[in-house]
Amino acid sequence: MVKYDLDLLKKCANNLMFDMSNDQYNVLLKEFDVLTKQMEVLGEIDGVNDVEPMTFPYPVYTTYLREDVAETPLSKKEALRNAKDVEDGQIVLPKVVG
Amino acid sequence: MYLGKTVEELHELLVSKKVTPLELTKEAIEALKKEETNAIETICEKEALEFAATLVEPEVDNLFWGIPYVAKDNFSTKDILTTASSEILKDYVPVYDATVITKLKEAKAVLIAKSTLDELAMGGTGTTGHKGTTYNPYDPTHTYKIGGSSCGSASLTAQGIVPFALGSDTGDSVRKPASYAGLVGFKPTWGRISRYGLFPFAPSLDHVAYFTRSVKDSAALLEVLAGEDLAHDATCSVKPVEKYTEGLTGDLKGKKIARIKEIDESVKDKVILEGLDKVQKALEEAGATVEEVNFDQKLLAAVYPAYMIISCAEATSNNANLDGIKFGPRVGEASSYQDVMMNARTNGFSELIRRRFVIGSYSLFKANQEELFLRAQKVRRLIVNKTNEILSQYDAILTPCGGIVRNPFASNSDDVSDRLDIHTIIVENHLGIGNFGGFPSISVPMGLDNGFPFACNIMTKVFTEKETLNIAYAIEKKLGLKNLSTMEVK
Repeated sequence: MVKYDLDLLKKCANNLMFDMSNDQYNVLLKEFDVLTKQMEVLGEIDGVNDVEPMTFPYPVYTTYLREDVAETPLSKKEALRNAKDVEDGQIVLPKVVG
Repeated sequence: MYLGKTVEELHELLVSKKVTPLELTKEAIEALKKEETNAIETICEKEALEFAATLVEPEVDNLFWGIPYVAKDNFSTKDILTTASSEILKDYVPVYDATVITKLKEAKAVLIAKSTLDELAMGGTGTTGHKGTTYNPYDPTHTYKIGGSSCGSASLTAQGIVPFALGSDTGDSVRKPASYAGLVGFKPTWGRISRYGLFPFAPSLDHVAYFTRSVKDSAALLEVLAGEDLAHDATCSVKPVEKYTEGLTGDLKGKKIARIKEIDESVKDKVILEGLDKVQKALEEAGATVEEVNFDQKLLAAVYPAYMIISCAEATSNNANLDGIKFGPRVGEASSYQDVMMNARTNGFSELIRRRFVIGSYSLFKANQEELFLRAQKVRRLIVNKTNEILSQYDAILTPCGGIVRNPFASNSDDVSDRLDIHTIIVENHLGIGNFGGFPSISVPMGLDNGFPFACNIMTKVFTEKETLNIAYAIEKKLGLKNLSTMEVK
């Protein structure tokens, strides 16, 4: 397992595109200590390595193809209506290329 | 005065034309405006009154015709603000309806409000939404929680303002608050109700669930909400929808019900144990046999950490779309699109949510997956296997919803802590088993202690909702705790 410290948690948060205060990182560090300890204990449960990971509550065998029905897609106006900065039908962001 | 009535009672009044949908809607909206538990995100006054006014000729065979209801604010509602009680979505107005909202619209039920939740449904305290704490209407002193994450829906149903409310349940987010609010809280089988339009938290655990004040209303509502959703949700089952109300006989002859020793032993409040004994007696009088079985203390204690890892990992990925670009707030100066995202997500998510995302992301690191994410998923399988083993010999499992009747704000927050003893970890988190295995699971009131209600829980095999509901019905019938509301109890 990757060793964690404040720097790693900060890097992880930044990769997720947000930041936190130092106090908040310290609270998180304590949570990591507790959780990783609990997960180590989980590794000692009988049979834990003899089963496959469970991704969903039960196998889903539903298979079908939808009818190919033409629908009216979202209008441009609707698609953009929740964006905060829109110009000429496009979302405005800071320039990527100078 | 039509508040505090069940769907069934309101239907009688509507079809006999003693009241109109418009009158019902107006009365409920006036009550919403006066409510004092901070349970509302948005009152849909204009839309509700306009829709109610179109409902003129009663539909005798449609129980939900003209019935006012509220939906947790993580269900997508076209043209109606939907915030998930998060700052990052504080201005978000969806362009489509969730399938359950569509189905209720088709049944001509009237959506009157969107209710508060723990931010993005990731919490169990009713304290983390962007509008602050939602209070328990049974407690004017504001000392005890209503629980979460479906806190607003629970409060408004408990106050008798609406006869039912939609919620979502990823760990116990309907079934636990149902206990603190004296309600029937039902989470049917995973895949029984389409999740299309429910903001995803952890899709392998997420369920549409709901509150009512009677088991019969709960059965009737499932008949409306259940069923395939071929166009939108491939995990939604194509199994036929049953006539759940017709299964409500209260006769449990030949049924075998298990009580789990390690969960009962973890209960701190003797009032809850006495309540469970009363429920057992009621079940036996209805013809069932009740026996104690062992689960495995280690496995039960593993529910919470496994849930944390799985749910945080899924949540991290699901909420990546909340980027402040397509929707969400633009905060401060930004010299790059990365800045736009950083600013929006740093300011838009509360601290708790950001901590959860980091836990999830770390669990998904390639080097950590074996010891964290995959291990949690393996533990999940062991827990589900054990539950299925019990359910292969018994028709249902009876448990408490938690270890204490009243849950003070000062206690067990959503922070990960090593201060909790193993019994608390077990008794306060075992309802998550219902999410791990997708089992139908219903909370039904089993007692009142100094004016505070508390509930038990019944869980059965997947897709046996008829059974779950009938056992709950037998309990309700024998104990007589039907249609509780603060109007009745206070």
